[in-house]
Amino acid sequence: MNSFSALIPLLIIVFASLCIMILEAFLKKENKDYLAYISIIFLVVCGFFLVRAWNKDFSYFNGNLFLDNLSLFFSFIFLITTFLVILISMKYISLQGVNCGEYYSLLLLALSGMLIMVSSGDLLVIFLGLEVLSISSYSLAGLRRKDEKSSEAAIKYFLLGCFASAFLVYGIALLYGATYSTDIASIINHFQSGESLGLMALIGLGMFVIGFGFKIAVVPFHMWTPDVYEGAPTPITAFFSVGPKAVGFAVLLRVLYPYLKNVQDSSKAIFLLLCIISVLTMVVGNLIALRQTNLKRILAYSSIAHAGYLLIAILAQDNASLVFYLTVYIFMNIGAFAAVIALGKKDKEYLELEDYAGIGFKYPWIGATFSVFLLSLAGFPPTGGFLAKFYVFSAAVRQDLVPLVIIGVLASLISVFYYLRIIVYMYMKEPSYEVDINIDNPGLFLVLFLCLYGVLQLGIFPGNVLILIKQAVTALL
Amino acid sequence: MIELFLVFVIFGFLGVLLVVMNKLLGPKRSNPTKESPFECGSPYLQDGINPFPLKYSLVAFLFLLFDIEVVFFFPWALVFKEIGITALIVMFAYIFILLIGFIYAWKKGAFQWER
Repeated sequence: MNSFSALIPLLIIVFASLCIMILEAFLKKENKDYLAYISIIFLVVCGFFLVRAWNKDFSYFNGNLFLDNLSLFFSFIFLITTFLVILISMKYISLQGVNCGEYYSLLLLALSGMLIMVSSGDLLVIFLGLEVLSISSYSLAGLRRKDEKSSEAAIKYFLLGCFASAFLVYGIALLYGATYSTDIASIINHFQSGESLGLMALIGLGMFVIGFGFKIAVVPFHMWTPDVYEGAPTPITAFFSVGPKAVGFAVLLRVLYPYLKNVQDSSKAIFLLLCIISVLTMVVGNLIALRQTNLKRILAYSSIAHAGYLLIAILAQDNASLVFYLTVYIFMNIGAFAAVIALGKKDKEYLELEDYAGIGFKYPWIGATFSVFLLSLAGFPPTGGFLAKFYVFSAAVRQDLVPLVIIGVLASLISVFYYLRIIVYMYMKEPSYEVDINIDNPGLFLVLFLCLYGVLQLGIFPGNVLILIKQAVTALL
Repeated sequence: MIELFLVFVIFGFLGVLLVVMNKLLGPKRSNPTKESPFECGSPYLQDGINPFPLKYSLVAFLFLLFDIEVVFFFPWALVFKEIGITALIVMFAYIFILLIGFIYAWKKGAFQWER
């Protein structure tokens, strides 16, 4: 149905971003905390409109922007992500000296980019959204201007991101040359009818996958991840590790699912490419994580490894399990980062493994929730991480991808080592020096408990969410 | 034709080869004076790389932004009659966003030369 309602959520977010930018210029320094509350109010209003649009299939701009159930579900997930990230940032940015309103403004702009990306079926519009997301991400990574590592992160992210965007645009151009269209549905149709120039279209699709491979940080294109994650402000790292990754997978799902399903003969090459990337991602990500001692780097490599498991879901063509994995992943990863952020005080963050010795007894809530998130990331029952991995691997077994599953299970077995090592440090090592932190941080504790609730709810009673996801993925085909 | 091409290839290759061989086989004797920047024999006064004010870069950025803004007006003006009132609304939204950027830059003191 063609209706202006399809545009409203996006307009609200963009308006919120502009509003905060203006307010930032006019507000006094001590009143900057209000900006966080204002952005949360806008997020809630946007969430209300998203929920109301469920099952309505609104579209606008001649169908270039649409809100089917899948894009609604993803949009809602991104709203939750941004909400949690804003909550964990509120105290952090004033403690770490990045207290500027542009922070929230850029965050909301990045969110609007993600909303554009998930609610379009046209590759050029998707690219537009990607650029909105990327450019705000680059500046967010460099917000700690006095810190060398932050600047390094911003420059690295910017250069490699531009490179990836170039690949993506070239891929889209080649696809257009081969199929005369930038619309995903008609591209797939062309592939099906076999009229397309085989090699050119394949190279185009391959470049498309490479461009998004940078965004979702799969292995041959993962080099930027640890450095950027380490240098960026920690809440922004939490945002990077879930937001761009989830949106990348959402777009890959829209493009690759119909392609792999409907195009039998020429999709073998892309299938093989994705298999190799997936195996490399799981193995390399987990193996390098073993040797890291910086918490942010460990979580960076763990997020690389998770991209590998998620690729298995795409290869198994099981959309519901992919979306479920992403949902769980958002809660457990933001939760883990929230626990990392909790260990900080004015102008100081505790990020080394050594700092975590004895934390479990000194700050029992932080220790306990962090342990649950780590167990969930490793895939222990009864947490959501276990169910997510279980659905993905069982779907892969049903599709006769047994070798991939064996590698995946072995890789997650390796990952248990470095996740459990953090827990061992927290509960079984004597601290050799004092770590005192600022625990007057209600927003962060709210996030810890919301994420804990999310992880346990999705792990023990996933029924309702699964029903929603099943409804959402019917939008594909 | 091919002979001419070969001449270029052979002598080009020879040139590169000689330079590389010189680099590889030649002795390396260096001293601080030899490493220092050349300044007509007298001791050099300052480093080659100086900090310089970035004010112009800010002006350049703002110029780029608001210049490109105007460029987008031309295609809009060409199709204005066909699209009608929608075009007006769209352009107002566009100018509104740019206006906010302008106010932001102004308030942040981007137009003050001395600060």
